[in-house]
Amino acid sequence: MYLPNFEYFQPDSIEETCQLLSQFGSKAKLFAGGTDVIIKMKKELLSPEILVSIEKIDQLKKIEYVPGKGVVIGSGVTHNDLVYSELLHEKYLSISEAARQMANNQVRNLGTVGGNIGSAVPSADLPPILIALGATVKITGVKGDRTMDLEDVFIGPGKTVLAQDEIITEVVIPDQKMTGSNYIKFGLRASGALAVVGVAAAVQVENNAIKEARIVLGAVSPTPVRAKKAEEFLKDKKISDELLAGAGVIASGECVPITDIRASAEYRKDMVRVFTRRALRKAIDEGHA
Amino acid sequence: MSEKHSYVGKNLQRTDVLDKVTGRGKFTADLKFSNMLYGKLIYSTHAHARILNIDTSEAEKLPGIKAIITAKDVPSIRYGLSPARYDENIFCIDTVKFYGDKIGAVCAIDEDTVYEALKLIKVEYEALPAVFTPAEAAAEGAPQIFEEYPRNLNTEIHQHFGDCDKAQEEAYYVRTDRFQGQRTIHGVIEPHCTIAYWEGKRVIVHAAHQSVHYLQHHLARILGMKEGDIRVITPYVGGGFGGKLDVSGLDISAIILSKITGQPVKMAYDLEEVWLNGRGRHGMDMEYTTGVTKEGKILFVKNEIVIDGGAYTGLGIASAYYAGALLTVLYNFDNYKFDAYRYVTNLPPCGAQRGHGQPHPRYAFESHLDHIAEDLGIDPIEIRIINARKSGDVTPNGYELKSYFLKEANELARDASGWKDKKGKMAKGRGIGVGNGGFVSGAGFCQYRTDLPHSIAMIKVYDDGSHAIVYTNAVDIGQGSDTVLRQMAAEGMGYPYDDISIVSHDTDLATLDFGAYASRQTLMAGWAVKRAGEDVKRKILEMAAEMIKVKEDGGYRSGKLMPEELDCREGIVFMKQEPAVKITFAEVARAYFVKNGLLIGRGYYHPGKLGGQHKGAAVGTSPAYSSATQVSEVTVDEETGMVKVLNTWDVHDSGVAINPNLLHGQVHGAFAMGIGETLWEKVMFDEKGKLLNGNYAEYRLPTALDMPPVHSMILDTFEPNGPYGAKEVGEGATTPTLGCVANAVYDATGARVSSLPLTPEKVWRAMKEKREREEK
Repeated sequence: MYLPNFEYFQPDSIEETCQLLSQFGSKAKLFAGGTDVIIKMKKELLSPEILVSIEKIDQLKKIEYVPGKGVVIGSGVTHNDLVYSELLHEKYLSISEAARQMANNQVRNLGTVGGNIGSAVPSADLPPILIALGATVKITGVKGDRTMDLEDVFIGPGKTVLAQDEIITEVVIPDQKMTGSNYIKFGLRASGALAVVGVAAAVQVENNAIKEARIVLGAVSPTPVRAKKAEEFLKDKKISDELLAGAGVIASGECVPITDIRASAEYRKDMVRVFTRRALRKAIDEGHA
Repeated sequence: MSEKHSYVGKNLQRTDVLDKVTGRGKFTADLKFSNMLYGKLIYSTHAHARILNIDTSEAEKLPGIKAIITAKDVPSIRYGLSPARYDENIFCIDTVKFYGDKIGAVCAIDEDTVYEALKLIKVEYEALPAVFTPAEAAAEGAPQIFEEYPRNLNTEIHQHFGDCDKAQEEAYYVRTDRFQGQRTIHGVIEPHCTIAYWEGKRVIVHAAHQSVHYLQHHLARILGMKEGDIRVITPYVGGGFGGKLDVSGLDISAIILSKITGQPVKMAYDLEEVWLNGRGRHGMDMEYTTGVTKEGKILFVKNEIVIDGGAYTGLGIASAYYAGALLTVLYNFDNYKFDAYRYVTNLPPCGAQRGHGQPHPRYAFESHLDHIAEDLGIDPIEIRIINARKSGDVTPNGYELKSYFLKEANELARDASGWKDKKGKMAKGRGIGVGNGGFVSGAGFCQYRTDLPHSIAMIKVYDDGSHAIVYTNAVDIGQGSDTVLRQMAAEGMGYPYDDISIVSHDTDLATLDFGAYASRQTLMAGWAVKRAGEDVKRKILEMAAEMIKVKEDGGYRSGKLMPEELDCREGIVFMKQEPAVKITFAEVARAYFVKNGLLIGRGYYHPGKLGGQHKGAAVGTSPAYSSATQVSEVTVDEETGMVKVLNTWDVHDSGVAINPNLLHGQVHGAFAMGIGETLWEKVMFDEKGKLLNGNYAEYRLPTALDMPPVHSMILDTFEPNGPYGAKEVGEGATTPTLGCVANAVYDATGARVSSLPLTPEKVWRAMKEKREREEK
């Protein structure tokens, strides 16, 4: 496999990044960790003439708590930054754990949060848990910023609402009323395997009942998808094994998986059933672990 | 020196360890030569097509391009392993036979230019109908890939011993099972690479290869050269596992391109090309019918195997024979019917892979045997013990087992794993399984017809006796042969291990050996270096006998000594009766040098005539057979079908372990490959025969996190046909794993998955179907 020639820009600021992306239009591609872009270039699935790297923009590499806003994760934060973040260990271990299950150490050292979202790969591991926690994203372009719910960013495999000049700059996890959250990735080997099914659940538990739940399914639809009927089914119900199993059955009807070399659609649907129940149980029993 | 051996049986430091852990060691791809060019092969993008035109004109215009060659520029000779199946050309003539078949080669001043050129080469094809399975290949009216293989049947084997039909009438119980093994690939760390350059009429070839001799031999035939005009050198090799034993397109192309350009040419595969050209394990459909007595004694086995060979034969002819050959080594029965059909298909050709042809049949038979045991109410280990062969047995297909301790291996694995407390008593979703295996310790015959010895070694001692060098063309591909051969040479000589270095795998510098395949280096090259060491020792003792003066008042003896009265250990020559009477090896060696010139030792090994007279009797012959038992414990997630291997016990009957740590390393590595092939690995193609998963994300080798603790144990056995009593471990240790893990999964679920790999989805489906059957 051969990496074709390209020009490489390494701007110092977000503003300059957006300007370069705007200036070069479709010839340019944003470059963060490169774990997706470089492979696609080698396979000739992408042929950008210009790569615009965010590597030098330090403000994108922070994970911090901003009172009144929530946990703010810069888009240039790597997966291993999430894995080792003390702030996340304290507030949302579930995000760290989701990151820890991704790919392998080499990829986790390079791959970024912004890239995991922006590549819009249906099996990406971070979007389900982030959406379950109600994350919003800040998107910056030459004309300024906009903020939207993360779940509205995805349009289809490899497609997002981002314009050519726009980049994701931060992901915000708002302060929660959810009492627990969890993401289960089901891959076909202990490490270095893409999710065949990924299920994230967040729950607000009060008096042994579910006040509210969010269930997000990965790798089983063109985009990460909310299992809204299952969420609705759980609302204001006493917690029981039967209840969670029921939610699993409903969730498995809320996805449209494909059959590919990793698994059949039939199997994926059944795994959504299994892992929805398990993710809910973990979120109920173990908080944001 | 009360111990029997000074170096044999010791965990001495690996010869290559510092080079490899520091990264200082050079592999072929690390080598650079002045004016070196870079080359790549041109690959077919059709599974089966007629080549109408190859237009290289645009590519030739690129600055930096040095040469582009296709079939018209090279000899049209066909090659392969056995003359009856020479079916491969240097480059495709007229038709391409698989997606990735080699059409030509390009070289240029750098890699960038080569890749650019590849894009500019236009090949026009007329697509032909293709076949991707043996069933498609065998079908009425199927497209013919080769004229000489009617209905694409490339190899047909019928080996019948005893009278199966009569035994079937007498059997208490007869059962038939069918299983499927998938295509896998070796997963070598180092992709294949070759560098060639010419010095006058001779060509120097540096190649990542398992046998410098076979590469030299086959290249000489293909290129119409004398063997002596081809020097083959292998630097460090990053794993072979059978995938670096065939001559590759890289080897031939690099030589031809270097001839044309007058410059060194480096050719290498990238990872995906390793899948296309690396010649991994065949896919097999296997049917076994076995009859037993009430007590579980096997009376006969009928075995039919249909093999997907891919586009060419190469080593695949041997794979087909091996698929059925070695069953008779494990289990004692007289009536055996082995029928095999290897078809050519329009997929990448298959060849040798660790355990050569045997792991799939082992998976199938070990699973089949568990079903028979279950039906008869016999414990799985008990039925294996009842049927295990013993030392001194001769199999119906003509193999003689000098030392063979499969029964003891089963007993130790049973006891070490706590089998009796676990089998049938485990919690839901947990299971325990057993599998047997083993392998030849070197093939009884050369790859081609010859009367050459199988291994030759030489030891040269420095003039002052301070250092010695072992010369052998045994190839250390990571298994550690350089280390164990130094150990055996040192032992044979009675000379310090640390003062012996080794020169290996260079046809100019070292001495004939057929290389690293069929688990042969320890036994065969071991004999040669041991004998070379003993030859040095003999010369030293003769010289020492002249030099040592025994004092008159010694009490025990006076006057001149005879050589037989002396021995040499660890660099000291001493009188056996009175060890205080001694002289250093170095002193004696120097005196020898002054008197006679160079002190060298020579060693020779030929296994002699082995095997029976039937067609194909040569495959599977060996001077010694290892045996092995593995027991594994697994959990199966009953909702997802995900298997986790918790623990495994491996007992190997490999004779005397020359270096026990290296043996355990082989067992760990073999187990990793084995569980990979059992649970995750499968080479996949789309409906047009294009490779789908030529990468380690979608071709799932096990990771460290997938590996259970491996308890590797060695039986205390001695092989009379092995140097210092040693036999093989490298390939044999892979062969029990597939059946062992599959049986553990069956034990955990009660549902048999009859095709490899046992993916979560297949296990899930098998459990689901079992539930549905039971609900009816």
